[in-house]
Amino acid sequence: MSDPFFQISQLESGYGEIQVLWGIDLTVNEGEIVCIIGSNGAGKTTLLRTISGLMSPTAGSINIEGRVIEGADARLTLTSGVAHVPEGRRLFRTMSVKDNLLMGAYIRNAPRDVEEDLERVMTMFPRLAERANQDASTLSGGEQQMCAIGRGIMSRPKLLMIDELSLGLAPRAVELLSETLIEINKSGIAILLVEQDVMTALDLAHRGYVIDRGRITFAASSEELRQEPAVREAYIGAA
Amino acid sequence: MLYAQILLNGLVLGGLYACISVGFSLVWGVLNVINVLHGSFVVLGSYIAYFAYAHFGIHPFFSIIIAGALLFALGYVVQLGLINRVVGAPVLTTLVLTFGLDLLLNNGMLLAFSADYRSVQLADPLGSAVVGGLVFPLDRLVAMLLAGVLTGLLYLLLVRSKIGRAIVAVRMDREAAALMGVDVKKIYAITFGIGALMAGAAGSLLSLVFPISPLAGSEYLSIAFIVCILGGLGSISGAIVGGIVLGLIQSFGALFIGPQHGLTIAFVLLIILLIFKPTGIMGRRGYE
Repeated sequence: MSDPFFQISQLESGYGEIQVLWGIDLTVNEGEIVCIIGSNGAGKTTLLRTISGLMSPTAGSINIEGRVIEGADARLTLTSGVAHVPEGRRLFRTMSVKDNLLMGAYIRNAPRDVEEDLERVMTMFPRLAERANQDASTLSGGEQQMCAIGRGIMSRPKLLMIDELSLGLAPRAVELLSETLIEINKSGIAILLVEQDVMTALDLAHRGYVIDRGRITFAASSEELRQEPAVREAYIGAA
Repeated sequence: MLYAQILLNGLVLGGLYACISVGFSLVWGVLNVINVLHGSFVVLGSYIAYFAYAHFGIHPFFSIIIAGALLFALGYVVQLGLINRVVGAPVLTTLVLTFGLDLLLNNGMLLAFSADYRSVQLADPLGSAVVGGLVFPLDRLVAMLLAGVLTGLLYLLLVRSKIGRAIVAVRMDREAAALMGVDVKKIYAITFGIGALMAGAAGSLLSLVFPISPLAGSEYLSIAFIVCILGGLGSISGAIVGGIVLGLIQSFGALFIGPQHGLTIAFVLLIILLIFKPTGIMGRRGYE
């Protein structure tokens, strides 16, 4: 079997003396949606931050299409094809929706292609088209997440990482975003989704990992994870 | 008629003050660095204009290009080599560093150019025009208009260009900007370079208005400080409003209280403003 498209092995990372991740192994195949579920403080966000180069790993490796990116800075990770939609959206508040999306394409140099992609994102999220010239801070939570995801795909990534898709959003907005993510995935972008809402995550993803206190405790298909008694008890709250 | 004349003088002065301050405000807003060097950058710009005129006959209106380019290079290098090392540190650390650099630059200028006041004596000044009883000092007026053009260009750069968007993005959320692939340290250097460029350009224009001496550096710094706090930190519109308000305060204060008390009046009003509206006239909350 050929190597997976995106692979992490034995990754360790943390904040100063405090180690958070202990030997994480994870893969994403081409065209897949993979979710990482786990409770607060399990290390989900730290994992994404280490992948995207906001933090440096203390051990282990990260590869995308055979290219080593562990320890690279955020810019190099992005140009290698990994985009990160951070927790809490982190939009540029006083910039317009359009300028936020253009910031997503900062590393790209062909204005015509960028213009085309801008059109595509606006078609994907008609709400953003309506509000293209409004400040990002005036958007509702769901619209902000749309803008953040749109900004993420403006770099034309091969892998889109999303930290807490549904946090603080109305169920209808989550549904809408999920549909769009499936659409994005079908266009050929693999997705790595971090999510506290286990049902949403397992509905979307093909496979999932359960992370607990910095270690992967389960790795299986979404269907299997849904049936797994320990997962049901710990994260779904129904036996 | 007297009031109209003083209003006019105040506006001209205010436009120049805005140009002095806008770079200082930009650096403070984006880097959270209080750049004590700024006043000396302005003086250096004035000297460049002075020598360009004395030796090569280049009019100070044109030496804004030379002074701007040289100061941009200086600012870029200083930020990349020195200030970037401490940029995330508490304000006191960056303050001490820029204060030390200011001592070096200012004393360097004292050694090189002496403390004597100099001024650009134009061979063919524009003089002044009298329209409807108002005296328009034309050299000053053109200087003020150029200052306005420069400030407008800076605004367009920030709002319309890719590099400008990156500067604004870094200002709002440097980590999110890094995730967009922005090289934050380079943007810091460019921003500091632009701050210095605006100081140098303002200095060239001021060489026609104020006497030139290294001793003026601290006065320009005070002006930039007052303007930023009056107008509100970190926005161009704040610097423009603050500059014009300070210009008006000074010219009307000179009329009612006496010209020697210009800065004193400004500082007193500043303290009153800080008590009642600490975010400045145009300011918003959320800055340290």
